[in-house]
Amino acid sequence: MTTVVIAPMLVVLVTAVLTLLFGSYPRLRTGLALAGTAGYALAVALLAWTVVLAPGAPGIATYQVGGHPAPFGITLVADGLSAFMLAMVATVGLASAIFSTRYVHNIGYDRRTFYNPLFHVLLLGVTGAFLTGDLFNLFVWFEVMLMASYVFVAYYGGPQHTRAAFRYVALNLVASAVFLLAVGGLYATTGTLNMADLAQRLADPAAYGIDPVPVVGLFGLLLSVFALKAGLVPFQFWIPSAYRAAPPPITALLAGATKKVGIYAIIRLSFTVFAGADVPISLSVPGTDLGIAGASPLAFVGPVLFAMAAASIVVGGVGAIGRPSIEGVFAYSSIGQVGFIALPVALAAAATSEQFRRLAVLAALVYALNHALAKALLFLAAGAVRSATGTIAFDDLGGLAERAPALSIAVFVGSLALVGMPPLSGFFGKFLVFEAAIRAEAGGALVVLLAGSLLTIAYATRVWNRGFWGAPSTAVTDARMDRVQVAAVVALAAGVLAVGIGFDPVYEFAEVAAEAALDAEGYAEAVDPGGEAA
Amino acid sequence: MTAIVLAATVGALFALGTFLMLRRDLVRVVWGLALVGQAANLYLLTAGEIAPATHDAVPVLAGHGEVPETADPLVQALVLTAIVIGFGMTAFALVLSYRVYEEHGTLDLAEIGGREVSEGRERTRSDGGDRR
Repeated sequence: MTTVVIAPMLVVLVTAVLTLLFGSYPRLRTGLALAGTAGYALAVALLAWTVVLAPGAPGIATYQVGGHPAPFGITLVADGLSAFMLAMVATVGLASAIFSTRYVHNIGYDRRTFYNPLFHVLLLGVTGAFLTGDLFNLFVWFEVMLMASYVFVAYYGGPQHTRAAFRYVALNLVASAVFLLAVGGLYATTGTLNMADLAQRLADPAAYGIDPVPVVGLFGLLLSVFALKAGLVPFQFWIPSAYRAAPPPITALLAGATKKVGIYAIIRLSFTVFAGADVPISLSVPGTDLGIAGASPLAFVGPVLFAMAAASIVVGGVGAIGRPSIEGVFAYSSIGQVGFIALPVALAAAATSEQFRRLAVLAALVYALNHALAKALLFLAAGAVRSATGTIAFDDLGGLAERAPALSIAVFVGSLALVGMPPLSGFFGKFLVFEAAIRAEAGGALVVLLAGSLLTIAYATRVWNRGFWGAPSTAVTDARMDRVQVAAVVALAAGVLAVGIGFDPVYEFAEVAAEAALDAEGYAEAVDPGGEAA
Repeated sequence: MTAIVLAATVGALFALGTFLMLRRDLVRVVWGLALVGQAANLYLLTAGEIAPATHDAVPVLAGHGEVPETADPLVQALVLTAIVIGFGMTAFALVLSYRVYEEHGTLDLAEIGGREVSEGRERTRSDGGDRR
C-alpha cells in the first residue's frame, strides 16, 4: 500500500540511470526514455487511483523513509492535492517526452546524450517536491529540480542562452539561501521541520512552549521563495529569457510542472501548515488606517499574494502583447496566467468561511490544470514551428494555417483555452476563478481579472493573425512539419477539449484535492508525528 | 558571547556576499552567491542549541553512565546536506560563468547586458541552435 507512494519517483529515478547508462545507443535511449515516462504516468495513475479516486480509498497515504517514524525520519505523503498535481505533471510530461523523441535528433551529438537523463531528473525533482512532507526535504527536491533546469536553460550554449542561464542560476541561488534561512528559523522557533508536526505545534503553541511570533516573518521568506519559483511579480524577470533559451519540450515542462511546484508549495504551506497557526497579527502602516489583522499568518498572505497576483496578470498581459516572437508572447503570457492561479489562492487565504476557501482553492487548481495543458500545448507548438521553419519570429511567419492545418487547429484550441472559451478546460477555470472573486465581493479582483482576460484575447489574437493567418511566407512554404511533433500537440489539444467536455470527474478530483489541501487535521493524523515516539 | 560572535559573523558574511553580488565582475558575483550560501549554512547551524543531554537524546550511550551536554545533531545533518548542494551549485555557476566568458569575450556584466539589448529583437530569428 505505501510503496505506491514512492512508485513514481522510483520509476523516473531508474529511467534517469538507465538512459545515462545506455547514452551511446540512441534508439535504446529514446525508447527507454519514452517507456520510462509512460511508466511514470502509469505509476501516478495507480497512486491517484488507489489513494484518492478508488471507491473506499483512504484519501491519504504516507511512506516513512527508512522506516523511521515521523517526525524523526522523512515522511513522504500522497494526498488528494499531491495526486492532482502529479496527474497534471504526468500528462504534460508524457506529451513533452513524445515530442522530445523527434526533437532531440536536431540537437548536437554531445548534448543529445544528456537530454533524457536530465529530463527524468527534472521530473524526479518535481515529483519529490509534490510528495514530501518535510520542509528541508522540500528544499532538497527544489535543488534537484533546479539543477536539471539550470542545465536545460544553458543547453544550447549560445550567448543568449548562457546569459539567461546565469540570471536564472544567480536568482535561484539567492532564493535557496533565503529558503535555508527560513528553514533554520522555523527549526529554531518550533523545534521541528516535519510539516504535520509543524502544523500541530503551531496550532497550540503554548502546549509546546513555543513563541510563534517569528513564524510570520519566516513564512514571508518562504512565500517569496515560492513566488520566485512560480514567477509571480516582482520575481518574474527571469522567466522570458529562460523560457526562450530552454528547448521547447523543456519549456513546456517548466511552464507545466516546475512553475506549479511554486503554486503547490504556497497552497500546501498556507493551508495545511500555517492556516491553523495561533499567531495574532496586527500590522499597520504608521500614520494611516491601512493595516493587516488576523489570527493566523494567512491574514498577511491574503493581501500580499493578492497584490503579487494582480501585478502578474497586468505585467504578463501587457508584456505579451508586444513580443516579436511566438515563444516570447507565451513566456510573458505565463507570468499573467500564474497570476490567474495565484489570485484565487489569495482570496482563499483572506476568506473567513471554510466553504468559500475550498471553492477558491478548487478554482486555483482547475485553473492550474488548464494552464499546464494549454501552455504546454502552445510551447510545444512553437517548438514544432521552429523545427519546421527555423524561425519563430512573427516577421518571418504567416499562413501556417494553410501549410499545417492540424497544428493550427491545435494552437487555436490552446489559445481559446487560455482565453476561456466553452467547452474547453479554460472556460471552467476562468468561470470558477470569477465565481470566487464574485463570492468574495472583491471588486478589485474582478477588475483585474477582466483586464487580464481582455489582454489574453488581445495577444492570443495577435499570435493567430501574425503567425497563422494570411499568405504563407517563404519560411512557411518551405516548411516540413514533423508528424510526431504535431501528434503530441494535437494530443494535448484533445486533452484540453476532453477536460472541458467531461468536466465532472476532473471537478470531483479537484474538489478532493482542495479538501485535502485544507484538511490539516487529516494530514497530521496520517503522518502521525510523535504519536508514540514523542 | 559565542552567540554574539556567531551573529556578527553571519551578518558580516551576508553583507560581504551582497556587496560582491552587486559588482560588475561576473566572477565576483559567483563569489558573492557562494558567500551568501555559506552565511545561510552558518545561520542554520546556529538554529540548533546545546541541550542538557539525556539518554533519550543520545540513545547510543544508554547503559554507559553519565551523558555529556550535546549539540543538536539535526542541524548538523541539515548543514552537511546544504553544503554538498551549495558546492555543486557553486561549481556549476563557475563553469557557467566561464562559458559566458567564452560566448561574450568579457566578464563585465554591464557589457554583457548591453549585448542583450543590442541583439534584442533580431535574435529571435536564430534563437536556439536547434537547426545546427
